[in-house]
Amino acid sequence: MAQATLSIGGHTVILSGGSSVDMAMSLPGMKVFECAEAEVSMQWHLDSVIAAMECRWIHEFDVSDGAVHCRFGVDAQGGYHYDFGSCGRLHYMEGDGVYISPMSNASVMRFALWTAFAMMGMAVGAVPVHSSVVVCEGKAVMCLGESGTGKSTHTRLWLENIDHTHLLNDDSPIIAIHGDKVRVYGSPWSGKTHCYRQESFPIAGLLRLEQRKENTIRRLRVLEAFAALQPSCPPSMAKDEHCLDLLVQFISNVIEHVPVYRMGCLPNAEAAQLSHETLMPWK
Amino acid sequence: MIINDKMKVRTVVGENIVMMQGEGHTDMTRVVALNTSAMELYNALLGKEFELADVVKILTDNYDVDEEVAKRDAEAWLADMKKNNLVL
Repeated sequence: MAQATLSIGGHTVILSGGSSVDMAMSLPGMKVFECAEAEVSMQWHLDSVIAAMECRWIHEFDVSDGAVHCRFGVDAQGGYHYDFGSCGRLHYMEGDGVYISPMSNASVMRFALWTAFAMMGMAVGAVPVHSSVVVCEGKAVMCLGESGTGKSTHTRLWLENIDHTHLLNDDSPIIAIHGDKVRVYGSPWSGKTHCYRQESFPIAGLLRLEQRKENTIRRLRVLEAFAALQPSCPPSMAKDEHCLDLLVQFISNVIEHVPVYRMGCLPNAEAAQLSHETLMPWK
Repeated sequence: MIINDKMKVRTVVGENIVMMQGEGHTDMTRVVALNTSAMELYNALLGKEFELADVVKILTDNYDVDEEVAKRDAEAWLADMKKNNLVL
């Protein structure tokens, strides 16, 4: 039996199974998150035999640029199931680990591992958030928005125009709550930009971006902040009542501690300077 | 009339909210907030079949308002709740 230990979002994950463990560890970025044995908070059992179950399917979507049709459902015992088309399955029951069937498609495996983290993370206050994150002087700024709104463009503008800045993750960093501390962690899931960093930082602010003909920024009130962050959290979670309860609690804890802004922006240096001056006024 | 129990009230940083079922990838989730008195009415009427007069009675029993004001407030609350699919 093969095994690997990872530290993701401040939680220790054990991957076990057969040849899929090697395959998982050869995915881009995974090795960066390897760590020594520690108190384990998540167990992911790869190469598991998972029977097709009678489920109430509540969410369907495509991955791998539309090549793989997936569905998410709940069985009669309250267990969660993902079908990754003909590429495999994932099963998770709260209080137990995640089980993933043997997989041969690397991009689906990558998505299955992300799903495993999203499912187990919600119970411990660690959630992947679709965003591009830049770090400046020890504090992180997270850019949120629909695909094509310029999240990566805005973080690139920070890198080009603001001193002492580096990219933490360009697609799916993890916000994790440990005690009363809210931090953002790098992750093995960074989209097309290979930016994998085993680091975490306190968050200076979240920016929900939208393209505008001028640069504007405004701090959001509680309900607006909630509405701005929720669409960037894993979509399947909002489809199930229990997952949504956990997600709402998580978002509530985050926005209690971290300011959220709505920013209309142009793709220019002034946009980066405006968000920098607003989020880090002490500079 | 009844309260739509499929729409769950949740708490976000001390505020009572109901998330509206949006379709697809919208930029912002639509959220309706219930203030303290709206929440009291909601809790008092949840799971019951009720009419406008029941809402008015809860208001006149709990607040120092006359019947006419209570009726106006009750109608406004009901219109708001119906618009957001919270009362069926």
